[in-house]
Amino acid sequence: MNMKKTTTLGLGLALALSTAACGGGNGGDGGSEATSATGPIKIWLSNNPEELAWGNKMVEAWNKANPDQKVTAQEIPAGKSSEEVIGAAITAGNAPCLVFNTAPAAVPQFEKQGGLVPLDSFADGKEYIESRTGDAATQYQSPDGKYYQLPWKANPVMIFYNKDLLKKAGVDPENPPLSTYDEFLDTSDKIVSSGAAQAAIWPAPSSEFYQSWFDFYPLYAAETGGTQLVEDDKATFNSTEGKAVADFWATMYEKGYAQKEAYKADSFADGKAAMAIVGPWAIAVYGDSVNWGVAPVPTSTGIAPEDTYTFSDAKNVAMYSACKAQGTAWEVLKFATSEEQDGALLEETGQMPMREDVASAYPDYFKANPEYQTFADQAARTVEVPNVTNSIEIWQDFRDDYSKAVIFGETDVDSALADAADKVDGLAGQ
Amino acid sequence: MAQVTADERSVLEEPAPPATAPPQKVSGRSWPRTVLLAIGALLFLFPFYYMLMASLQLKPDTSVRGAFPTSGFTLDNYRSINGRVNLVQSLVNSGIFTGAVILCTVVLGLLAGYALARLHFRGRGTLFAAMLLVQVIPFQLLMIPLYVMIVRSYGLADSYLGMIAPFAINATAVFIFRQFFMQLPDDLFSAARIDGAGELRILWSIALPLVRPAVLTAVLLTFIGPWNEFLWPFLITKDADLQPLAVSLANYISSVAGRAANPYGAILAGACVLAAPAVALFVVFQKHFTASDIGSGVKG
Amino acid sequence: MLTTVLGRQPLGLAFAAPYAVFLVLIFAYPVGLAVWISFHDYFFTAPGVAVDRPFVGLDNYTAVLGDPEVHKAFLNVAVFLVINVPLTVVLSLVLATALNGAVRGRIFFRVCYFVPYISASVAVVAVWLFLFSNGGFVNQLLGPLAPDPSWLINKGLAMPLIALFVTWKQLGFFILLYLAALQNVGKELYESAAMDGAGKLGSFMNITVPGVRPATTLVVILSIITGANLFTEPYLLTNGGGPNGASASPVLLMYQRGIEQGNPDTAAAIGVLLMIAFLIIAFVNKRFLERD
Repeated sequence: MNMKKTTTLGLGLALALSTAACGGGNGGDGGSEATSATGPIKIWLSNNPEELAWGNKMVEAWNKANPDQKVTAQEIPAGKSSEEVIGAAITAGNAPCLVFNTAPAAVPQFEKQGGLVPLDSFADGKEYIESRTGDAATQYQSPDGKYYQLPWKANPVMIFYNKDLLKKAGVDPENPPLSTYDEFLDTSDKIVSSGAAQAAIWPAPSSEFYQSWFDFYPLYAAETGGTQLVEDDKATFNSTEGKAVADFWATMYEKGYAQKEAYKADSFADGKAAMAIVGPWAIAVYGDSVNWGVAPVPTSTGIAPEDTYTFSDAKNVAMYSACKAQGTAWEVLKFATSEEQDGALLEETGQMPMREDVASAYPDYFKANPEYQTFADQAARTVEVPNVTNSIEIWQDFRDDYSKAVIFGETDVDSALADAADKVDGLAGQ
Repeated sequence: MAQVTADERSVLEEPAPPATAPPQKVSGRSWPRTVLLAIGALLFLFPFYYMLMASLQLKPDTSVRGAFPTSGFTLDNYRSINGRVNLVQSLVNSGIFTGAVILCTVVLGLLAGYALARLHFRGRGTLFAAMLLVQVIPFQLLMIPLYVMIVRSYGLADSYLGMIAPFAINATAVFIFRQFFMQLPDDLFSAARIDGAGELRILWSIALPLVRPAVLTAVLLTFIGPWNEFLWPFLITKDADLQPLAVSLANYISSVAGRAANPYGAILAGACVLAAPAVALFVVFQKHFTASDIGSGVKG
Repeated sequence: MLTTVLGRQPLGLAFAAPYAVFLVLIFAYPVGLAVWISFHDYFFTAPGVAVDRPFVGLDNYTAVLGDPEVHKAFLNVAVFLVINVPLTVVLSLVLATALNGAVRGRIFFRVCYFVPYISASVAVVAVWLFLFSNGGFVNQLLGPLAPDPSWLINKGLAMPLIALFVTWKQLGFFILLYLAALQNVGKELYESAAMDGAGKLGSFMNITVPGVRPATTLVVILSIITGANLFTEPYLLTNGGGPNGASASPVLLMYQRGIEQGNPDTAAAIGVLLMIAFLIIAFVNKRFLERD
């Protein structure tokens, strides 16, 4: 492991030096000259109020200490359009230095566009990332072994349940049987047939490429003990485990435990669904309004909670090649992901910094919010979207086949997974 | 529009419009028509009513009864917009953006529409085809190249000009001008030309007054585009001080919806704020949409 | 001599010049680039990044033409047009004629028809979602008659519902267009028709309809353009063209392929095909409606 680390680091350095020698090739201004340059920089923050509050304070603190390297923060939408905006800015060469809202699924594309600075170009880049995040960091390495993103914060997803509704359905609200598929289906049946809620659980049944991250993928991660959708350029999901998960969801939809139409608002908050697949942010959102409990995602055999994997739902920070003062940007990145700032982020947003052992780093926070412990434990076992070319197309193709077979039952689940796997193999190998 | 005299205005503001309807059909027999219009209006207004109601509610209610709330009214949804968006600055930006587009479209687009409809010149067919083509090319296809060009070649990022440029002359408006100039009788033009009137004078004094409702309709269309446009001004401006209302509200919607107690209330409140100035303008100008009289046009 | 070079009224050139310059400055490059992209293996890159973009001939087009998703999207738009265009033309002309007469509360009615048109799509879509969802207002009104599966997730109803939505949203504008056109239909025509004993329907069919023909061309072409550019509704109302692509439109596919998935080459090929299809329809339509 250590061996590997040093060679990759060495390789990264050599590459960075060679690009500098060639006067910048891939990535335009990449190279050591830009990576040491300092000066004022621009960063983009996600526009949800909590992150914005954290971001503005972070920037203020930085600017106070470094008046000669002023950081200007601007907002971009948190939703679907942020990738469009970033993609266009990369092409036009006016992307900011750092975007504190870079989706891992979009990274391969931005990288292909030459829009990202590999963080390994900084002398302490790789080491910083890996010491901050630990082993989980390797999931964010690109196929060329470099880090084009800093794993920043995760929202490991789990099953939230509404105790009042479960009670109404005649299910033990303190320890609802939800760990195996049979238990989950049985509990779902009680919820729906008793009329306690319209749906047992209501993941968005629509066709956007990312929706599988919140229904199929967490369960798949759990069922396989942490396998990504694509590994070694091959689809992994056309397997017994993949079929078990897809069949489980197909039954949920067929029996009406999950609804086939998207709910316009928040089905869990509105009491239309008794369960939801959510990350730790849910504690802040549902905290007082719903009498909730939390459980790991189900598996066919009921894997113990301490061994259950799930989807990480991470948002990362990437540095963009249009950045002039990359030296400053790197320092800001380290400042913004320091133990102190990560603590502030946790405090302000309830989102989990991707640090090794969050719980021991912020004992006060966890004492004040004991519920976070469950999510923090889960955070150690998360699976990211695979970092492969055509990432988004792969997810879209998967979603299309999944929707037909699992949600609407128009085609057979086995052949849909086989069909999707064929397409994915073709795309991932490119 | 200088042609409208006070005298004409009073004619236009009479309840019965001067055109089409034969006078004997005006009174008692218009009831079926009123009923038809009322049913249509109900269908059209209901969703909007629903939107207004939902924006005033604390919690969403999808039941039939929920459409006719009697309690639980609140201005919270509006209050939180005011807290997050600089409404005055956004309105000013929207005004500059929209105003400039309307100005360019009316002045330059009108000339082009007139030339396309009434003047024979080399390249007219090509220009007409280009105009049609530009309308049918989806913005999603051009967005990135256009953005790259305006930002990189023209250096117009974070500026009003960059925001305005792709919208400056609304192709649909040019098309509308052309169609309406074509509708006018040929005699009108040949007579004026024989009298020795120049084309600019024919356009200004004869053709324009006749197509005034069409001009207003096109202005309206031109208004709606930039007024509701979100993606382009957002791409061009990251500086919040330059962003028009639609962008600020879209930002607001994407940041609060989903977590507000009534997410749709938040979206709809944003929409109501955006629509209100447009509705107000329309109400002020609506009577001019039919105000035209061939007789007075020819006199002018 | 000058006439043959510049045309009979060269002044037209001067009138049209600003618009032509605008088209060249703003659209020539992106449109040309889009067409160029459609013949190459292309993706967008940051400035200064050198990549190979080989000419691939018609590869992108064959890929697109052989793609069942694309077929479906074009078919969906055909369904959309078949419903939306006639409905728009008939409703807007009838309502405009009705509004043009003396009617109590004319101003109120006009504002009613106009309000959906000026409201931002994202908001009206939200309202329709409320109204047409499974447990929504419309289904509750319909009770047992409510369709199953519900409107927005019903393969057969999603696209017609979108067509209805767009008709509803745009109608106010088309009514205004017809109102404007009606002002130029000479009232003496109606008077003489009335003297000849023609009924209301007769004078509508014989005078109004032919009298507003250029406006009808305009309405038809503009609604075809709306259909060709259909994006926001399948994107928002049916959450990305659902169920299973039953309401996907070519522009939605372009968005997914070109912007989300980073394949502007196939997206551009879809765009070019869309333009060609539209131009054919537009010119056939122009011939047909403007013949005199």
